[in-house]
Amino acid sequence: MIDVSGLVKIFLEGGREIRPLDGIDFTCERGEFILIVGRSGSGKTTFLNILGGLTQPSSGRVKIDGNEIGKLSDAECSALRFRTIGFVFQFPGLLAPLTALENVTLSSSITGVTPEDPAYARTLLERVGLPGKADTLPAHLSGGELKRVAIARALVNRPSLILADEPTADLDIETEREVMALFREINRSGTTIVMVTHNTELAPFASRVMKMENGNLTEYER
Amino acid sequence: MIRLITKSIVHRPVRNGALIISFAFIAASLFSGHFLVAGATDSVRQELSRLGADIIVVPAQYHAEGEAVLLRGEPSSFFFDSAIVGQVENVSGVAQAAPQIYIATMPADCCSALVQLIAIDPSRDFTIGPWLAQHREMPLGKDEIILGSQLVGDIGSTQYYYGHPFRVAGKLEPTGTGVDVSVFLRAEDARVMAAESVAMAYEPIEIPEGKISVVLIKVKNPAESTQVASRITDHVEGVRVITPQYLISTVATQLDATIRILDLAALVATLVSLPLIALISVMAANERMREIGMLRALGATQARIFYLISGEFVIIALAGGILGIAVSTVLLLSFQSYISVTVGVPLTVPAAGSFIVSALAAVLLTTGIGGVAAFFTAVRAARTEPYRAIRSGEL
Repeated sequence: MIDVSGLVKIFLEGGREIRPLDGIDFTCERGEFILIVGRSGSGKTTFLNILGGLTQPSSGRVKIDGNEIGKLSDAECSALRFRTIGFVFQFPGLLAPLTALENVTLSSSITGVTPEDPAYARTLLERVGLPGKADTLPAHLSGGELKRVAIARALVNRPSLILADEPTADLDIETEREVMALFREINRSGTTIVMVTHNTELAPFASRVMKMENGNLTEYER
Repeated sequence: MIRLITKSIVHRPVRNGALIISFAFIAASLFSGHFLVAGATDSVRQELSRLGADIIVVPAQYHAEGEAVLLRGEPSSFFFDSAIVGQVENVSGVAQAAPQIYIATMPADCCSALVQLIAIDPSRDFTIGPWLAQHREMPLGKDEIILGSQLVGDIGSTQYYYGHPFRVAGKLEPTGTGVDVSVFLRAEDARVMAAESVAMAYEPIEIPEGKISVVLIKVKNPAESTQVASRITDHVEGVRVITPQYLISTVATQLDATIRILDLAALVATLVSLPLIALISVMAANERMREIGMLRALGATQARIFYLISGEFVIIALAGGILGIAVSTVLLLSFQSYISVTVGVPLTVPAAGSFIVSALAAVLLTTGIGGVAAFFTAVRAARTEPYRAIRSGEL
């Protein structure tokens, strides 16, 4: 599903070279639930964004389903994100003027692609525990509900891969457990998940846990 | 996509409302100038069409008065020798010549209204021909008058001029010119009225025997009206000619200052608004940068982001343009007479074709300004790396 080799990312900060990712090799098989833990600033988010084609590596190669991301055009990379990848960010990122349902179907609105099953978005909202909230504006939803809408939005195109960046940050423990249970359920239905977090207590939900440290990715001892 | 853009616009009512008003002002300034020019030009054309004349011959010393009567309906009385009619008829290219007598009513008890009386010879006259042709059942009979559109008086009612009673036989359609405040009557009735006025009016009117005020001319070939007008000036002494082209250029000259002010207003509004709108577009894009990054993550291409940002400003400008046209049309129509008097030109509602072209041009130009103002912001937003866009706003 994912094949990363020799991944390097270099930032220049005040004339100084920073290497948050320094020669990472990584593979992920279809159906895995991989949790990447690490301290803030360790490069987890940068790694996740490179996997999703949201930023380019300084060197190295990333393949998603056999497509080498660095060689795709903007349109091809956007199509890959639309069809194959669902993103869940630390912030819900819902558009305030749109209802929960409209936010879930946002990818279709913005790309102009007609959804194959228009009723699926509503079904997803029910699946993430938000029945009856389809027509509610984000301003009237709680933090946990916003996160659930964002998860439904990531799932709406039936992606084979979910990239989640600190999806339980800012949530209380109870809501955090509910959201993680939802991710585990999504994974059990066949969707591959790569999640980054600083919270090692989420490790039991994943099939494999890795640690980002000093620009390298290593297996995490549970 | 359009739904997404419109929802985004509605979500920020204050900022976008202010932008729409800015664009409306630009569109209104651009449109008003065109409206005035088209309205004045159409007005002159309508009047000339109503009069059916290709050339109007007036006494040389009363040239300005003749123009004032035709363009603004300012009542005036002036005369020259009726022998001029014969001389004019002999000029090569003249098909028909119709004399008219202009009599200004007095601002006193003499008359039902302060108007321009235009006495015609029904046997020779073609000046209100189109109207009379449509109303053959009602030829202008003895002691009958036809009123311009702005004059008060029901058909069949009686009006008094210099003590003489006249029956209102009909009313003309509006032209926005002097015709609208004129009263047409037969020349022989006018002379009877003048004779009676000595005994019946406080201020008697005199129409000198053998005198007329203007001669309206139909040429054989309308394409040669300018040459015929030159020949009349060359061969007939003591006259000046007024042609449609001359009247239109006179109106254009009179409107010139007003148009310049409106164009300047549009230019200033554009020059002031453009950087402000561009700045607002930058601010709008910056505050939505994380949203833009998130949309890219959902699969939006750079082109889609460009359309999203620029489309928002284009729609705002379009709404402003339409609003500006609507408001300026209502104001121009409401104050049409006031503007006509203030600027000193005849004014009517422009023909549908030129109205639509002017409105579309103003809306397109305004929309273009909106597009230009947002263009670079939209390009920058589209080209921003999604990761950088998502992380914007983070400390």
